[in-house]
Amino acid sequence: MTLRRIERLQLSYISAIDEGPLDNWPHFFTDKCLYTVVSRDNFDRGMELGVMRFESVGMLIDRATATQHAAVFAPRIIRHLLGPAMVDDTGEGYRSRCNVAIYQTSPDGDTMLLMTAIYNDLIVEQDGVLKFKEKRVIYDTHRIPDSIVYPL
Amino acid sequence: MDGTQTPDKSETDIWSEAGTTRVPFQVYQDADIYAQELKRIFYGSSWNYVGLECEIPEPGDYRRNFIGEREVLMIRKDDGGLSVVENRCAHRGAQLCQALSGNAGSAIMCPYHQWTYTLDGELTGMPFKRGINGKGGLNPDFDMKAHGLVTLRVESLNGVVFASFDHDVPELKEYLGPDMVKYFTRIFNGRGLRVVGYERQVIDCNWKLQMENLKDPYHAGILHLFLISFGLFRLDQESKCLVDDSKGHSVLMTAKGTEEGKEDTGGVRIAAPDFSLTDHELIQPRLEFPDNVTLSIQTLFPSIIIQAQCNTLATRQVIPKGPGSHELVWTFFGFEDDDDEMKDLRLRQANLMGSAGYVTLDDAEALEFSQVGLSGSPAGEAAVLEIGGTDCESNDHLVTESLIRGFYMRYRDIMGHGKAGA
Repeated sequence: MTLRRIERLQLSYISAIDEGPLDNWPHFFTDKCLYTVVSRDNFDRGMELGVMRFESVGMLIDRATATQHAAVFAPRIIRHLLGPAMVDDTGEGYRSRCNVAIYQTSPDGDTMLLMTAIYNDLIVEQDGVLKFKEKRVIYDTHRIPDSIVYPL
Repeated sequence: MDGTQTPDKSETDIWSEAGTTRVPFQVYQDADIYAQELKRIFYGSSWNYVGLECEIPEPGDYRRNFIGEREVLMIRKDDGGLSVVENRCAHRGAQLCQALSGNAGSAIMCPYHQWTYTLDGELTGMPFKRGINGKGGLNPDFDMKAHGLVTLRVESLNGVVFASFDHDVPELKEYLGPDMVKYFTRIFNGRGLRVVGYERQVIDCNWKLQMENLKDPYHAGILHLFLISFGLFRLDQESKCLVDDSKGHSVLMTAKGTEEGKEDTGGVRIAAPDFSLTDHELIQPRLEFPDNVTLSIQTLFPSIIIQAQCNTLATRQVIPKGPGSHELVWTFFGFEDDDDEMKDLRLRQANLMGSAGYVTLDDAEALEFSQVGLSGSPAGEAAVLEIGGTDCESNDHLVTESLIRGFYMRYRDIMGHGKAGA
C-alpha cells in the first residue's frame, strides 16, 4: 500500500513539472526541506554544489515564479520517465530511490535526452499526505546540453 | 605565433571598415576563420587558464583540460612544481589519460603500448625497446629525448594556473598588465583556495559570443528579468567598466546601495514583472572583500571569466567546439578558511549561476538565439556595436559596448584582419 502511495507521489510530482501547473510543484515538499540537483561528478568528489539548491517551500515558490514570469528562454516540453522505486522505511521516513531519464523537446520538434539521473528522496507523512523532506537529484549527464530551465 | 604569415584577402576583406563598431557575422560561423583562431589565438602567444593548483595537491595528481581543441594535462610534479603537457602519446597519438582527474603516480603511461613519460613529459621507456632475443624493437640510435610529450609553458598566479603553447610568450603578469593583475589579485589574494564544485554545459554558439556577453553590461539590466523583477540589479548602480591597454582584457564591477529613486531608463519601460522574493535567504550576501563591490566580472583574453557575484565565486572557462558551439566549464571555488556559514552561502548563492542559474540560464538561451539568428546571413552583414559610442575606453557607467569593441581590436590585430585602429 505504501509503495503504491509513493509511486503515486512520484508520478504526481513529475506531472506537475511535465504537464503543469508549475505552481503545484513546491507543495510536494515539507516547509523545511532540501531540494538539490547535483552532478554525479560533484557527488563522487564529496562536493555538494548543485545547479539548484533550495531549503524551504518559499525558495521553491520563488523558483517556480521566476521560471514562469522572470526568465528568458525558448519554449520547450519536458518529459520525465521514471523507473520503479526502491523504498526503505528508515524510521525517520521512507527512503526512496528511482532512476529517471529526462527528455527535452525544442520548439522545432526535436527531442533530446537532457539527462539520466537518480532521485534519492526522503518522504514523510504530514497530515495524512506524503511529502518530500529531501529530494536529491543526482545526475549522470554532467555536460549539460544548453540549460536547465525547469525543475527536475 | 606565426607572425610572418600574410592573411589571404578573404580574411581581411570581411571587416568593412576600421574600428570595431561592425563585427561581421562571418567571424561566428566561418570554418576557415575558426581554424585561424585556434592557430593564432589559442595555440599562439596567449596564456590560457588550465585550472587551480588546489585541484592537484599531491605529486602525480593531474587534471585534464582543453586549450582550444587540444587536450592538455595539468600535473603536480614530485618537487611540488607544475607541468602542463599535451594529452597525446608521442608514439601513435593515443590519448594518455581518460579520467577528468586522477593520480598518475610517478610516471605517465600510455595505455596502448605502455610508452612511459616523466611528469614533465620526457620519454623514459617502452616495453621491448630492444626487441626479443635481439629481434625487433627500436633502433639503438632512436633519440628518446626527441620523442617526449608536447610541453607547454606554465605559470601560476596565486594558485591559478595558466599555460601557453608558445614558450616565448611574455610573462603572465606582463601579459595581463598591472590593472588586470590588481583586480585578479583582489579575489585571488594568496589565500588557499578550495573547489566548491563544477558545472559544465554545452552552449551552441560561437565561443566569442560567450566572451562578449561578459563584456556587455548593457544586457544585464534588461535581459535578466530575475534581477530586475526582484529588485536585485539596476543599470544605474555605481559601476566601473575597465579596459586594459591591450584592449583584450576587462573588468566590470557594480556596487549596490548607492542608487536612489527610480531608474532613469530614458522613458522606456523595461518589460519586467514586479515580484518580491518569498524567501530572502537566497540573497543575503556577506561582505568578504575590502570594498562595497557586489558584482565583478573579469574577462581575460582569450577565454577565461572570473566571476564574483556576492559570495558566489567561479572561474568560467570557454572551450571552443567548432565555429557554432562551445563548452562552458564552471569551477565554483571558495577559500580554505571559509567558515561554515560562508560554505552555506556559497552553495546557496550558486542558484544564481551555472546551467540552471537564475541569471545565467537567460544568457545561455540568448546566446543560442544569437547563433541561430546570424547563421546563414549573407556576407557583409554585421553586428552593430555603437552603444556608448565607438571607442574602447573605460567608463563609469554600464550602458556601453566599449569592452566588446576592445576585445575585437585585440582580435583583429592577432588575426591579421586588417588594421583595426586605422
